[in-house]
Amino acid sequence: MNAMNEANPVGSEIFSLINAIDAVSPDSPLEELAELFASPEYANLLSLPVVENGRPVGVISRYRFMDIYLKRYARELYGKRPIRNFINDKPLLVELDQPLSEAAQHVAANMKFPLTEDFIVTRRGRYLGVGFVMDLLKVMEQKMRANTDELEKAYTQLKSSQMALVQSEKMASLGQMVAGVAHEINTPLGYVQNNVAIGQELFLQIQSMMAEYEALVDKLLNDQASEEQVAVQMQLVAEMRNDVNTQEMLGEMHGLMSDSLYGIDQISELVLNLKNFSRMDAAANDSMNVNDCIESALNIGRNVLKNKVEVVKELGVLPKISCAPSQLNQVFLNLFTNAAQAMEAQGMLTIRSWYAEGSVYISVEDNGKGIPQENLTRIFDPFFTTKPVGEGTGLGLAITHQIIHQHGGEIRVESQVGEGTRFSIKLPATSSETVQPILKAVAA
Amino acid sequence: MSKPTLLLIDDEERILRSLRMLFFVGYNVRMTIDPYEAIRILREERVHVIVSDQRMPVMQGSELLRIARETSPATMRILLTGYSDLDASIASVNEGEVFRYLMKPWNGDEVKKVVAEAASIAEASFAVRTHSDMAVELTGAKPRVLIMDHDESTAITVHETLGDRCDIIWASDAQHAMEELAKQDISVVVSDLMLGATNVGYILKTIKQLNPQTQCIVVTSFSDTSRLIELINQAQITRFLPKPVSKGILARNLESMLERFHIVRAQPVLQKRQAVAPISDPQEQVQAGNFLGMLGRLRARINA
Repeated sequence: MNAMNEANPVGSEIFSLINAIDAVSPDSPLEELAELFASPEYANLLSLPVVENGRPVGVISRYRFMDIYLKRYARELYGKRPIRNFINDKPLLVELDQPLSEAAQHVAANMKFPLTEDFIVTRRGRYLGVGFVMDLLKVMEQKMRANTDELEKAYTQLKSSQMALVQSEKMASLGQMVAGVAHEINTPLGYVQNNVAIGQELFLQIQSMMAEYEALVDKLLNDQASEEQVAVQMQLVAEMRNDVNTQEMLGEMHGLMSDSLYGIDQISELVLNLKNFSRMDAAANDSMNVNDCIESALNIGRNVLKNKVEVVKELGVLPKISCAPSQLNQVFLNLFTNAAQAMEAQGMLTIRSWYAEGSVYISVEDNGKGIPQENLTRIFDPFFTTKPVGEGTGLGLAITHQIIHQHGGEIRVESQVGEGTRFSIKLPATSSETVQPILKAVAA
Repeated sequence: MSKPTLLLIDDEERILRSLRMLFFVGYNVRMTIDPYEAIRILREERVHVIVSDQRMPVMQGSELLRIARETSPATMRILLTGYSDLDASIASVNEGEVFRYLMKPWNGDEVKKVVAEAASIAEASFAVRTHSDMAVELTGAKPRVLIMDHDESTAITVHETLGDRCDIIWASDAQHAMEELAKQDISVVVSDLMLGATNVGYILKTIKQLNPQTQCIVVTSFSDTSRLIELINQAQITRFLPKPVSKGILARNLESMLERFHIVRAQPVLQKRQAVAPISDPQEQVQAGNFLGMLGRLRARINA
C-alpha cells in the first residue's frame, strides 16, 4: 500500500488503472485464500497477487484455487501447504511508466482464455497493485476512438485544404494568363493611344490652317481688303504650306490611322480570347469540338509561347464531345506552358488531334529537355514539382490528370531526356453527332 | 547645335512609327526592329538616347541596353515595356542601368519630357569620359558607406570588403539611418527595402535628390515589380540584389559602386546621368517632406 502513496509519475497512463490490493505472501497457507476470495474486498478480483520482499512472484487465480480446493479432501491435503506451490509464476506484469498501448499489447498477447487472471502493476519491478484487463481494454478503446476522431478531423481538414489548393492553382494559372494577356494588350494600346493623341494635335493644326485659308479666300473676295492685307495673309498661308514637318506628319497620319485600326482589331481579338477562355466557367457541360479548346488555349498562352516556340498543329476532323470546355482549356494551357518551360532555347511544339473508334485523341509533343525516368511516374502526383520554390505549386499536372479522369478519359506521358516529352490524351466521344467538317492543318 | 539623335527599338513596327511622331520636330530619329542593327548604329553614330522595348524575339531589351552601355557609354538608356515582370526590371537595373523604366501604354508628354531631359544630359556627358576603366584618382575624403539592413551578414560582408577603405555605419532602424544621413553625405548606401516595419523607399528617393553622388545598392527579399520600377525612376538605384545574396556578388557590386562613386565625384557632370524623377506616391511625398524637414533642422544644429 505504501507504494501507492507516492505521487503519480508524470505521464503514466497506467496509474489510473491500479487497484490497491494487499498482496499475499507465498508462504501463507493455501487455506487463507478461501477466506480472502470470499471477502467483499476481493469480490471483483479474478486473482490474487503473490508478493515476496516487495516483488511479485506470481498470481493465484480464483479459478485455479477452486479447481484445487473443491477436490475431495483438498482442504486437508493442501490447506496447510504454502501458496508458493500452486501459483502461476508467470503473471501478467505491467510497468507503471510503460506506454498504455504497449502494456495493452503485452497483456493481450499473453492473457489466457477464459480470462482468469488480473495483471500486476509494478514500478521498477516492485509491486504496486492490481489492474483489471477489462479496464485496460476499455481505456484502449476510448483512446482509439479519440484517435479515430482526430484522424477523421485531420482527413476532413486535408480534404478541404486540398480543394482550396486546387482552387488557388486554378486561380493562379488563370491569373497568370490574364496578366499575360493584359500585358499583351499594352503594346497595341500603346500605339493606338499615341496615334490618336497625335491625330488630335494634328487635327487642331489643320483646323487653324483651314481658318487661315478661309481668311485668305475671304480677303480675296472682299473688295474692301487692301492689297497689303491680302499679301500678308498670302504670306501666312504660304509659310504654313511650306512647313515641312506638318506636311510630313500629315502624310504619316494615314499610315498611323491604319495602324490604329489594326491595333484595335488586335485588342478586340485578345479580349475575345479571354472571354472564350473563361466563358466556360459556368462548369456546365457543353458540346464542344476539342480543337476549339486547343485553339483557345493557344491564343491565351500566346505570350508564353511567342518568340520561343514554333507551334505545329495537325488537327484532325473531330466530333463534338460532351465536356467542360473551361477545364479542357486549362488542361491544354497547362500542357503548352509546361512544354514551353521545358525548352531551354527555341523549340517545337506539335499538337495533334484525331478521332478513332469512339474516342478523341490528342497528343502534345515538345522537343524540350525531357523528364528523367525517376520523375516520370511522379509527375501527376500532387505537389510534385521540379520548379524552384515559389514558381510551381506542383498541382498543374495533378489537376490535369483529375480533369481528364472526370471526363472519363486517360492521359499518358512518354519522355526521353534530351529529346522531348509527349502527353497523350484519350477522351470518350459519347455524343453521336456527325463529324463536323472542320479541318485545320496549318502551322502557326 | 545639331539635333540630338534618338534610337528607337521595338519588335512591333507600329510602335516605332507611332513613337517617331512624338519626336518629329527637334530630333534625328533612327529606328529599327532589329537589336543587332541597333548595336551597329550605336557603334557608328553618336546616339544621345536609346529607347528600347524589353521583350523581343532575338534579344531582351535589358541585354541590348547592357551592350549599349559598353558600346556607347554616354548614350542615355530608357526601357519602354508593356510587361512588368520582376526579372526584366532587375536586369534593367543591374545590366541595363536604365535612366527610366517606362510603361506601355505611355503618356506622350511624359515620354517627350524624359527623352528631352536624357538628350541634354547625354550632350553634356559626351564631353567627358564615362568609361569605368578610366583612372580614378582616389583623393578627397574617405568614402562613407551606410548599411540600412537588419541582416548582420550584409554588414559583415560590407566590413570585410571595404573595411579599411571606408567609414562604415550600420543603421538597423529608419530613425538611426536618417540621423546618420543628416550628419554627413554618404557615398554608398546598402539598403534593404524594409527596415523593421518601415518601407524605406522614400529615404532612398530623398537621398538621391539631395546628393546625386550617392550610389544605392538595394539588397532585399522584398519583390514587388511596381515598387522596383519606382525605385529605378525615382531613386536611380544602381543595383538590385535579391536576398539571399552571396558574399561574392555583394562584394563585387560594392567594389563597382564605390568605383562609380569616385568617378561621379570626380566628374560632376556625370551626376546628372542619375537624375531622379519626382516622387509619385502621395504618402511617400509626405514622408520625404518630413525627412527633409528633419534633415534641415539637424544640419542647422550641427553646423551651428
